Amino acid sequence: MEPLSLILLTTVAPLAAFTLAILLLMQQPRLAQIVVIGGGTLSLAGAALLLFQGPMAPLRYLWFTSGDMQLRFGFLFDGISLMFGVAVALITLCVMVYSLGYMGHDPSKTRYFAMLALFEWAMLSFVYAVDLLQSFIFWELVGLASFFLIGFWYEKPSATAAAKKAFLMTRVGDVGLFIGVLLVLQVAGHFDIPGLLAADTGLVAQAKPAVLTMITLLIFVGIVGKSAQFPLHTWLPDAMEGPTPVSALLHSATMVAAGVYLMARLHPLFMGSETTLGVILVIASITALLAATMAMVATDIKKVLAYSSISQLGFMLLGLAAGSLFAGVFHLITHALFKALLFLCSGLFIHHFESNDLAQIGRRGGRRMRFATAGLLVGGAALAGIPPLGGFFSKEEIFAALGQDGVTIYSIVALLAAFLTAYYTFRMIFLVTRPAHMEQPAPEDHAHGHGRAEPWSMALPVLLLTVGAAIAGFWGSAIASGLGIGAAHHSLASMAPAVLVVIAGVLLAWMDFGRQSAARVGFIARIPALEKLFNNGWYVDAFYDAVVVRTTMLIATILHAVENKLFDGSFDRLGFSVLGIGAGTTRLQNGWVQFYAGWTVILIGVAAAYIGMGG
Amino acid sequence: MMGDLPVLTTILLCPVAALVLVLLTPARAAHVVRWISAASALLASVLSIQLWRAYDTVQSGFQFVEIIPWVQEVGISYHLAVDGFSTILVMLNSIVFFTGVLTMWDLETRVKEFFAFMLLLVIGVYGVFLSQDLFFFFLFYEIAVVPMYPLILIWGSGNRDYAAMKLMLFLLAGSALLFPALLSIYHASGLGTFNMILLAQKSFDPDFQIFVYPFVFLGFGVLAGLFPFHGWSPTGHVAAPSAVSMLHAGVLMKLGAYGILAVGIRLLPMGAVYWAPTFATLAAIGVVYGAFIAMRQTDFKFVIGFSSVSHMGIVVLGLNLAVLGTAGQDALNGAVFQMFAHGVMTALFFSTVGFIYDRSHSKTIADFGGLGSQMPRAVSIFIIAGLCGAGVPGLASFWAELLVFMAALKTYPVMGVAIIVGLVLTAIYVLRVFSMAFFGPVNDKWDGLRAVDLQGWQLLPRALLVAVLLFFGFFPRVLLDVIDGTTTHMLLVF
Repeated sequence: MEPLSLILLTTVAPLAAFTLAILLLMQQPRLAQIVVIGGGTLSLAGAALLLFQGPMAPLRYLWFTSGDMQLRFGFLFDGISLMFGVAVALITLCVMVYSLGYMGHDPSKTRYFAMLALFEWAMLSFVYAVDLLQSFIFWELVGLASFFLIGFWYEKPSATAAAKKAFLMTRVGDVGLFIGVLLVLQVAGHFDIPGLLAADTGLVAQAKPAVLTMITLLIFVGIVGKSAQFPLHTWLPDAMEGPTPVSALLHSATMVAAGVYLMARLHPLFMGSETTLGVILVIASITALLAATMAMVATDIKKVLAYSSISQLGFMLLGLAAGSLFAGVFHLITHALFKALLFLCSGLFIHHFESNDLAQIGRRGGRRMRFATAGLLVGGAALAGIPPLGGFFSKEEIFAALGQDGVTIYSIVALLAAFLTAYYTFRMIFLVTRPAHMEQPAPEDHAHGHGRAEPWSMALPVLLLTVGAAIAGFWGSAIASGLGIGAAHHSLASMAPAVLVVIAGVLLAWMDFGRQSAARVGFIARIPALEKLFNNGWYVDAFYDAVVVRTTMLIATILHAVENKLFDGSFDRLGFSVLGIGAGTTRLQNGWVQFYAGWTVILIGVAAAYIGMGG
Repeated sequence: MMGDLPVLTTILLCPVAALVLVLLTPARAAHVVRWISAASALLASVLSIQLWRAYDTVQSGFQFVEIIPWVQEVGISYHLAVDGFSTILVMLNSIVFFTGVLTMWDLETRVKEFFAFMLLLVIGVYGVFLSQDLFFFFLFYEIAVVPMYPLILIWGSGNRDYAAMKLMLFLLAGSALLFPALLSIYHASGLGTFNMILLAQKSFDPDFQIFVYPFVFLGFGVLAGLFPFHGWSPTGHVAAPSAVSMLHAGVLMKLGAYGILAVGIRLLPMGAVYWAPTFATLAAIGVVYGAFIAMRQTDFKFVIGFSSVSHMGIVVLGLNLAVLGTAGQDALNGAVFQMFAHGVMTALFFSTVGFIYDRSHSKTIADFGGLGSQMPRAVSIFIIAGLCGAGVPGLASFWAELLVFMAALKTYPVMGVAIIVGLVLTAIYVLRVFSMAFFGPVNDKWDGLRAVDLQGWQLLPRALLVAVLLFFGFFPRVLLDVIDGTTTHMLLVF
């Protein structure tokens, strides 16, 4: 098939589904679900066929001209976009099907499914974009769809606050990205991505090193916002206020991955600036470690997963910044699968027990839910990096990239973060599957109306993703060849440190939470100061509230006073004083003859005296 | 059909004819008045679309010229013509006119008088956009401004005496600056003509230009909501009835910006260049300042009013950057695009807020909560307008802001960064309204509104405006193609 019709099928199908659902099907939720899932299926078919056809020449269409600037929008079909496009379409479809069950009782189903379709359209259009401005546009629309989905239950103040926070914090990053994108235009005169990346005529050859550093740093600011890196990471845990399938889709596998994807997309530009790479290494390693410490103490299953997403995104950026495109993209794809799986499993627990609390899920019999538990184990093991599951191989690539110039501080930090990852993942697994004691299932659990614990619509995607997460580790060489890179083979010895830290992490989790006599309290509780620090998210949010939010509101208050008192006020005073003069002079005209006559005499007298003295 | 019909005069005659008919209609036949207004607005809209389509984007310069000498002794003639800018602004006026009439359909008090004044206002606006004679330009300008006073005073709400008076004094003060400036241009040219096309070819003495330009700029700038002379605008918005706010923010403020462009920059280019850095700074301050003030407002309409100050700052900034050369093309394209986009967006804002106010008799943001579940349609439409205001791509404003920001970054990098950072502020005040009024726990007090959400034909004007915003959000080329040639032509002298 023509690439044009395929890409239109991929991107326009969800848009059409969204439009239909929101305009016509508000009252027919069942039909809306069918339409949206149909759109998602067509989209996946299109993306898969595109991947099957392999890399192709990009398509470009004139979008507009302003003076001598010409914007051409279109689609780019290279290894990265083709592979990630399929991953996005696949996971979106899984989440849509899963939502049939999860959101089955929600009165606003149509709106929910429509927003999923809107998101899919924006995300896929972003992935295939050939033009940097086009990328930016859909990047923003992805953020918008995320805003609506986080705040889906808008009657909950916490959901609204979380949606607002996500929008504003990513906006802060987007301002950087926007300026960076505009600078690209100033330097290169166009936004065409293949043109910008061309080795001889691209941006790296054109721009002065300082300018290139500035541009890449600004783009990285956008990535920090979108991919929830330190210090703009705090919106992501809050975003868990959205429905759990949304968390699975946006806040682990796709939307937050957009930042990493953009860096992979523009990898040659980043490789052109040592300074930028240095900054990214620092930020990404801080994030990987910081988020892991917070995941260690979180009690909400979704929060654990959210922190782990932040941390794993840090890993991806570490791999990319260390120079390995393959490591970053490989981990992006394995993570997308196992994290979507983990979230969907957590959704099964939450849906069934109506609680997000790890310990409570465990006590009330989490492990009796075989399906969810199996998914949790496979996904958790992949996240922790247990061979031979997905996460192990992709993380191994990142370690290899970091260690290529000998052992650096970054490889040590990454190993430490990997150790903590294994620890917190198995803490989660043990808390759910090995509680100290289990309550007997309360009779009302069955009468609760959810019927079977896992309806087929929820079980099927979980099953599919379990298989995907289990085998993704073996796709390394396929992904490498898709990127046009030969896959490196690592010796067992070089894998040893990674394996060892994982084993250590799992063992420590077993000691703390797994074994029968375990206290089920983390080792970190012995250092209360640290535990408090982790529990409070290193006080980043507290800092924002105390400093950033307050300062902004203070400026607004001051300016508001200035407006009322000074600008507007002085014009009012001017107006009112004119009125005052008028009112004053009106009093002179009181219609009292004696008053007029009196003044006449006085004034004539004064005039006569004046003339008399002067003359 | 465009061949022999004097299309510009016909467009102008639509509201004129409607005004005459409305005045002849007895006051109790309110429905006849509404239908006459709607029909004339529809006809004007159709003709505006025809004009847009027939406008030749390749040929630069004025098109559809109609000249009838009037007072030959002093060189006044009835002279209509359009360039790319006026073509799209005429379209904007038609859109706001048509949707404004539909928005006021339910008005019950003094219907005849209301539509008469509104038609008068619309005549003035068309006249300004079409006139190429300085005398008529100013005449129409005053015709557009004056009906605001009775419209706010009689049909307004809240502190309307104060608002109407304040608005009138500010605008007349602007006119007081303009009138001597325009006369001095006429005299200094020595041509003895008010023909703006001829005046534009004359190069005035640079000192004269530098002296007169601020009068023209500030005189028109007041109407464009230029900081710090913006105070009349939010106050006026709040007190005015919906359609008047729509016309006021949607097209009237554009008259100010268009005046700066058509009289200031076109006739006094050297003066414009001389003053551009100063006025660009003023406009950029307005962009950020307006956003900050909007964050502290408690009334829906005040938020929109100050957002207009901020967004019109982008227009005026673009106009000033245009003459500075480095990125003039983008700046001017962006400024004109923003005039159109902002016009449609504020019309949508006020049309929707007006609707919510009509139903609830409250404009106080904190009065509401969870309104999204009570009036899902009205709220969705307001949200779209808000997102457009926040510069979200996919809606028309994005392109306008993109072009102006691009130019600002190139011309004055620090200022450019400052106003792009201002985008976060915009998002803050927009989201603040969303989360306080539309989201959050439902306020039972307004449960009665569930039955009276937008329905049937009430959706029409709002849906139309949304469609326009989305269409140009995705196909900016349709608009840019019309204005780009005129921009190039206009910037030749710089």
